[in-house]
Amino acid sequence: MTALRQLASPTGLRHGDHVFWTFDDASDFSAAVLPYLDEGRWLGEQLLLTGTSRAALLDGLAGLPERDQMLASGQLEVRLMTDIVDPARGLVPVEQMESYRSEVAAALGRGRTGLRVAADVTTLAQRGSVDRRQLHVYERLADRMAASAALTALCLYDSSLDDDVLRPLAVLHPDQHHGERETLGCLCERGPWLSLRGEVDLSLADAVLRALVDVTRDAPGEVVLDLADLEFLDVAGARMLATAVRLLGEVGVHLRMVRAQRPVGRCLELFDLADGQAICT
Amino acid sequence: MTSMRPTGEWNGTDFAHEAFLFATDQEVLDRIVPFAMEGLSRGEPVLVVAGKRVRRLLAEELGQDVRRLATFAAAETWWRGGHETLHAYDRDLRTLRSAAPTWRLVAEPVWLAREDGREWSRFEAVANRCYAAMPYYSLCLHDRRRLPAAVLDAVVRTHPLTWSGHAPVETAAYEDPTRFLRSVQPEWDARPGHSAVWTITAPREARRALAAAVIDGWRERADDVVLATHELLTNALRVAPFAEVAFWTDHETLVVEVADSGPGLPDETRGYVPPADDQEGGRGMWLAWSLADDASVASSPTGTAIRLYFRR
Repeated sequence: MTALRQLASPTGLRHGDHVFWTFDDASDFSAAVLPYLDEGRWLGEQLLLTGTSRAALLDGLAGLPERDQMLASGQLEVRLMTDIVDPARGLVPVEQMESYRSEVAAALGRGRTGLRVAADVTTLAQRGSVDRRQLHVYERLADRMAASAALTALCLYDSSLDDDVLRPLAVLHPDQHHGERETLGCLCERGPWLSLRGEVDLSLADAVLRALVDVTRDAPGEVVLDLADLEFLDVAGARMLATAVRLLGEVGVHLRMVRAQRPVGRCLELFDLADGQAICT
Repeated sequence: MTSMRPTGEWNGTDFAHEAFLFATDQEVLDRIVPFAMEGLSRGEPVLVVAGKRVRRLLAEELGQDVRRLATFAAAETWWRGGHETLHAYDRDLRTLRSAAPTWRLVAEPVWLAREDGREWSRFEAVANRCYAAMPYYSLCLHDRRRLPAAVLDAVVRTHPLTWSGHAPVETAAYEDPTRFLRSVQPEWDARPGHSAVWTITAPREARRALAAAVIDGWRERADDVVLATHELLTNALRVAPFAEVAFWTDHETLVVEVADSGPGLPDETRGYVPPADDQEGGRGMWLAWSLADDASVASSPTGTAIRLYFRR
């Protein structure tokens, strides 16, 4: 199980790690990507960097040891977001995941130890709310895949994006670096169930609501939300979960919360979530 | 002889709250039987939740009619602490309301005889405000011979109606809920010199500080202290840019105070009002009060300070 972490440096990462990282400018971007990819080089991983401009990406990699050799040998690849996501169709999360899955297999087949991706996803986050929903679904699937494949992922976002856009995205990553902002909680999928972890209070409730509803609303039926690793929930957080239950109920999704710790259960009871939603401990 | 009117002027559209103090068996029967029979004759649900003695008397007197009562239950097993007891009661009321236009209840809160049951008077006081629009008559029975004088005093101060012998009448000693609460909350002494004080702009700062400070024999209460304080802070920071948190222990009591410079609490009774859909911030106060063992409020137009008391 990956614990929620606030990362100061994009290193010390291994398969299964799925990181949210904001950068301020090109040099900040470079400062994150270089040590991250260099670590992958040491580990013998296949390296993939994606973004919007090939020239800018290569510039950003100028300080990476053995950059040119790795580009020549194919260990390092630089790809444009427009090559990956057809701007007309937008992001199709399931297809994208399948393509990553085969790339992981291909990397292992070539004798690499795994696939390490650094992706500047800013342009996808800049599109409208429908695309952002797809991006949330994509991040959930990426998290699920990282748990089971030889994949390490660094998702980079320009820090000038609106907080309303960035915060639900941050919530979908167990490892976070969001400027000076303290990492409180995340929504991830490392076991049989979707799991809400860390601390969810007034300051995080809106972001979790957005992320939770977006990633679960497309599949009618029951969704189990594991609260075993939720260390703190306040009344505002519980109100948010009650809202999520209602919104999802309207589209045929039954959100069932399980394994709440006692103080968390106290807050849920205030919204009559404990009884009807089958909280067990 | 004046004819008896068991519910007086009550027309079934709002809340009537009577304290009936009794000593003898005959007093109990003379009051309850006409009250219950009037309800049955009007087709209202009649609920009785009482102690063993009252239940026995009523069963003997009503005979087959006991089966016509919507509820005939033992009060002895109801007490689960003030907040939980009221929360369960509140759910029952809302269920009743969705099923019947009006109803009447005979209730004997036998737990007032227990040391830990005395806080119930505060809920009785606040009920006058939060249930004002609930369409039922609550006839509360109190045994003069079992209950201490201090409890009987609280009973008359928290029930706007009492029994004249043939009709309900206004209670002379009845007090406004806020005034009653202020009179029973712990004395507001100066903070002791050894208190820790923090200035807080985001609730999580206080969570960190308290989690580190609540140690040495208080660990089992740490979750309660942190969550209750967080909720008070969330409310305080809605009306003020920062709040002050003070924390101290005094023998067997741990105290947390949250003070802000906001406009004062619009309603000091909120900590005793069960959760409902129409309140912002109300649930947080209810939760904080229910996690703590006691609470006191000092509120004025220049700010609010709330103390929560926790015992080991």
